[in-house]
Amino acid sequence: MSAYDCPREQDVVNAVLGGRWPDRCDESLVAHAASCLTCREVAQVSMLLHEDVDHARIDVIVPAAGQIWWRAAVRARLESTHAAARPMTWMHGITGAIVIGAMLAVVTAVWPMIPELMLTIRTIGKDYLPSSEVASALAGGLRQSLLIGSIAAVLLILTPLALYFVLSDD
Amino acid sequence: MREITLTDMERLGAFDEAERTFQMTEEAFRSFYELTARPVRVYLVRMTGDDRLADDLLQETYYRFLRANVAFSSDDHRRNYLFRIATNLVHDHRRKPFMEVPAAAIAEVPDAAAAAQAAERAARRLDLHRAMERLKPRERSMLWLAYAQGWSHEEIASAIGVKTASMKAMLHRARQRLVALLKNGERS
Repeated sequence: MSAYDCPREQDVVNAVLGGRWPDRCDESLVAHAASCLTCREVAQVSMLLHEDVDHARIDVIVPAAGQIWWRAAVRARLESTHAAARPMTWMHGITGAIVIGAMLAVVTAVWPMIPELMLTIRTIGKDYLPSSEVASALAGGLRQSLLIGSIAAVLLILTPLALYFVLSDD
Repeated sequence: MREITLTDMERLGAFDEAERTFQMTEEAFRSFYELTARPVRVYLVRMTGDDRLADDLLQETYYRFLRANVAFSSDDHRRNYLFRIATNLVHDHRRKPFMEVPAAAIAEVPDAAAAAQAAERAARRLDLHRAMERLKPRERSMLWLAYAQGWSHEEIASAIGVKTASMKAMLHRARQRLVALLKNGERS
């Protein structure tokens, strides 16, 4: 026995919660409680709380077991679905990054070839077209078209990817 | 991403899967729930002071219990584990004060003697509630588990996450505080 508890404390609690305290329990326990401050306090607190529980249990309304089970089942299923979909989301992200990377690589590789291409077109133009003005106008037009085409391609790929990441749940 | 509906859930066999995911069958759960739901709900209401929060925590408590991967050695162990979950949830939500006793308790009693008795009981409960309200949430939990649920010191220590010796000292102090508050309540 320490300064904080009494070996018979639990017996007192059990007697109170079992509805046997003080009339229908061991007389020696009641006599002990009369002389033990801890057990007296325990009996007092336990009786008050027991009375409160009894009263509260009359009024308490709990959801049906089936409802709790059903909600738990639905939630478990949703959680497992989300957990299963997580690798797919990661895969989508990685695929998007690869596509963007590949596009940038292609643009980087092609970019230095553009002036060369323009020069070739201009040379062909000089040989076959009636005047050099027509040839350079054609080359300028082609350069602009190529730039617009590149921007459009980037937007066409990036926009759906951006929309996907913005609208996805995770 | 398309939202998953309940019809989808049913189609996908959510309930068959639940049987596999949860640690008990629906039938076993129903029996266990019938035995434990009321005391757990009362405990949650008394600890949080909020009926709605108590309802949410009740659902959450049973969900976590069903998903727990624990081998229970007895019914007591199972019940204690459930209260342990509820206690942890309450400690996560310990913000609101203790609930006031509804005043309707006395009004419905017909004869005078019974009405006087009921009034006395209601007053005692009100004193208890006021005194409990002034305790720390952990003290409330300990007192409730020890003296309303009849748990052993070891069980409470395990549920609250402290050593048994420390718990005994804490419980002793909490009980003394409650008794002192009740005496002060009587005097006032």
